[in-house]
Amino acid sequence: MKATIFDIERNSYVDGPGIRTTVFFKGCNLRCAWCHNPESQSPKPEMLFYKNKCTGCGKCKEKCPNALETCSLCGRCTLYCPHDAREICGKEYTVDDVMRVILKDKVFYENSGGGVTFSGGECMLQIDFLKEILKECQRYGIHTAVDTAGHVPFEFFERIIPYTDLFLYDVKCFDSDKHRQYTGVENQLILKNLKSLLAKSTPVWIRIPIIPTVNDTEEELQRIKEYLSSCGIPEKVELLPYHAMGEHKYAAIGKETQIFSVPSEEKMKHLKNIFS
Amino acid sequence: MTDRIQKLTELTLAGKMYGEAKSTEFERNDIFLSECERDVKHICEYILNQEPIITEYQTMTGFFNFDSSVVDTAFIRSGHKNTEELMKNFYLKQVDGLHVLDWQHATADYKKVLESGIVGIIDDIDRSLEHHTIPEKREYLLGLRKIAEALIAWCEKCSDRVLEYSRTVENEEYRKNLEKLSRTLSNVPKNAPTSFYEACLTIYVCFSCSLDSVGTLDRYLSRFYFDDLSAGRITREEAKEYLQELFLLLQAATPITSPNFTKGGQSHFCVGGYLPDGSDAYNDLSALILESLTDLPTYIPQVTLRWTKTQPKDVLRFAMDLERKDKNKRIAFQNDEKRIQAYTEICGFTYEDAVSYTTVGCNEPAFPGGIVGATSKLNLHKSMERVFHNDYEKIADCKSFDEFYGIYTRELFADLDKQIEFDNKCNAVRARDVNYVSALFFNGCIEKAKSPTRGASDIVVCSPEVLEITNAIDSLIVVKQFVYDEKIITMKELISALQNNWAGYEDLQMLIKKKGDFFGNDTERSNAVARRFFDSISGFLKGKRNLFGYPILIGDLIGYNPHHKWFGECTKATPDGRYAGEMLKFGFGQSGGYDREGLTALLNSIARADEQGIRCGSTVTNITLDEALIKNDDNFEKTVELFRTYFENGGVHFQLTYVSKEDLICAKEAPDDYKHLRVRVSGFSDYFVKLNEAIQDDIIARTEQK
Repeated sequence: MKATIFDIERNSYVDGPGIRTTVFFKGCNLRCAWCHNPESQSPKPEMLFYKNKCTGCGKCKEKCPNALETCSLCGRCTLYCPHDAREICGKEYTVDDVMRVILKDKVFYENSGGGVTFSGGECMLQIDFLKEILKECQRYGIHTAVDTAGHVPFEFFERIIPYTDLFLYDVKCFDSDKHRQYTGVENQLILKNLKSLLAKSTPVWIRIPIIPTVNDTEEELQRIKEYLSSCGIPEKVELLPYHAMGEHKYAAIGKETQIFSVPSEEKMKHLKNIFS
Repeated sequence: MTDRIQKLTELTLAGKMYGEAKSTEFERNDIFLSECERDVKHICEYILNQEPIITEYQTMTGFFNFDSSVVDTAFIRSGHKNTEELMKNFYLKQVDGLHVLDWQHATADYKKVLESGIVGIIDDIDRSLEHHTIPEKREYLLGLRKIAEALIAWCEKCSDRVLEYSRTVENEEYRKNLEKLSRTLSNVPKNAPTSFYEACLTIYVCFSCSLDSVGTLDRYLSRFYFDDLSAGRITREEAKEYLQELFLLLQAATPITSPNFTKGGQSHFCVGGYLPDGSDAYNDLSALILESLTDLPTYIPQVTLRWTKTQPKDVLRFAMDLERKDKNKRIAFQNDEKRIQAYTEICGFTYEDAVSYTTVGCNEPAFPGGIVGATSKLNLHKSMERVFHNDYEKIADCKSFDEFYGIYTRELFADLDKQIEFDNKCNAVRARDVNYVSALFFNGCIEKAKSPTRGASDIVVCSPEVLEITNAIDSLIVVKQFVYDEKIITMKELISALQNNWAGYEDLQMLIKKKGDFFGNDTERSNAVARRFFDSISGFLKGKRNLFGYPILIGDLIGYNPHHKWFGECTKATPDGRYAGEMLKFGFGQSGGYDREGLTALLNSIARADEQGIRCGSTVTNITLDEALIKNDDNFEKTVELFRTYFENGGVHFQLTYVSKEDLICAKEAPDDYKHLRVRVSGFSDYFVKLNEAIQDDIIARTEQK
């Protein structure tokens, strides 16, 4: 069994408690306008081309005649590009491949109260692999977190709940029309799944990206808060400020992006108070 | 900070607390004396001719500097005529691009003087005189006795000067301080101190005689501190004030005109670490020492926390918290577990002796009362150059990596032998000199009637330094990976690429840089090659001793700025992707961005590379962290656990720089805007804009961990 994964980041501090390894699955069923990992959206491996780094030296074509036209993702061009203008995003891994990396930092997880986070993309879209690797982590006593946008059948959650120690659950907009406008899907399934998940005993951290002009109002967050209150109590609510660090990657996969402003520190502080 | 300390800080940082040495005229008839009698007579006259620094803000004085007209301390070593000649010809002047003579360190044993005062040392000399009948030895001991008496007389002189000065001071509190100082100088260090204040003053005065590290300060001062505290004779705040004054005066011992004034490696000392009973020495005084030091905006001294598994968990956190707030980067971290193991197993020291070590300079180990027995730094990469550029016919047809490795290590060992031989020759020259001043506070000198330069102490680590370890390991990895494991190139192609300095092989060089399984990425291959390399060095050196019989414990340090540049300039292209002349890599840690898998991978690689603990000689692991990361308290807590785990895994040392790569690039381009940016250079910290361009580039290239 294999999964398409586009990055494994060791020593991650931001995806759950303690020191973690975060495994980024490729493929997502949302198209969030502010997504900072647009290369995660397609489920297939793809070539990233950073036009601003390319000097037109032709080394890629010299090493692989198919580099520019009928690329088969052989990777030779990436090896010989002097400016790192080309990069393959996404590779197939077996459970053992990923576990080998995860296990290297086991002692760091144990000492810091950390573990492994499966993220993406939407890791739940590769549910069979996800379940297997969660089981494997549990066998080694490693804390697991699943970072999800929740737009999958609840049956998927039920399959992995026994092997998951924490869910990091994204809530992006409470208004369904707006949700569809900015993510491509409505949010009824997401909110329903959240309610069902909070009824279970597995801890949940809610993560709300704060996107100016989209969801950065007190009213919007109050509505989310009220909904959460009606569902059950999440262990934690994290507000994550929008950043534009993924901008260059849109160009690299030949897509256009929408730029938002970055919320101020004062604004973030104010909004965080709603949940404190 | 009290007003008094504030005033002293201002004077110190303005360079006004430095006591200029006063030149001394000696009688021409002295030439008719024996060399020992003449040297001793001159030292005594010189000491008594000096003038103490006195201001109304002090509660301590009595330090004096030497001007090289007489034989001075074992660290400074001016006036040691043969050593001076040796240094003139070889200091920082490389030999065959292979090794270079460098400075050494020394730390006094303050235990004796704190237990029984200089009169106790004189008693020891008298007892030793009863046993020694050889005239030269008796002459040496009598010389030491005279110097000890001169120190007592010097303190009487200081006492008089202070009393005289106190009469001019209007501020009552300050005047009383000086009157107390005057009284105390009549008593200590002549007699054993009985209070925390007297102990601090004793250490300060005796520091004149071994001008390097004050050693394991919390161990020396603990009993005075806790006795005074429990008896109500002192408060924690008062103790802090004395410590701060002591640190300011240690800073003031270096003139502001010296480039060393801002280098933290001067007067490096330790807190914490194992005691002979297996408990940890860290206590409230250790915490107070760290607090007192980092509250001061000074550069010297630098301190290392000796970490142990038994140390309370919050100690590392406390020290790292002070460190992240310390703009002058004065705290480093050392793992006692690995160090003590090395000193007992490799050096054969007793556990009691092993735990007494302190860290000096850039992290070299030193034992109380001993000079560090090293003299040179080796360009370890030279042997790699030779096999590819001189002896390439031997390796061209190697059928396996093992066969290649065997040929390579023969060259490597030949260089290590040359280094040991060179060190022995340097030590033999140094042994022609006799030291008197430091000898009073060094082990074995009085009992054996022997100069420290001639190997008086039994507890000395001879720690010749091997540089460029990372380049050597990376080159071995490239050979294994590209020639033998993946068969991407033949050995003959690699030889040709290197002999042509990669000209015509640019694609191969790029492939190596991009796909090389370099050290620091925590892969099975890179870790195994690193381990094998360390094991080879360890095996080769096992049982070897230097000229004086001191065990050899290699360290990987790094020295300071110029070495990697010089050695790089005279080393041809090597398999790790280096061009001929390109600078070699600093220390054992981040390797110019070649470690790509994050900080846990790098720390795992470092911790697992060296099972034998040979890096316990002098090792430096510099880690650059993103400043934004460490400002966040949650992330800081994780960083503490990260480094605790690194130590538990067997890591030996770390020190941190918090900065963004963008900041460093800006600092290089606009130095005037970044005059205050301090970074870890090797075992010490310094201002970034003062470093030469090659070193700046190296620091920029170190991977910044997020």
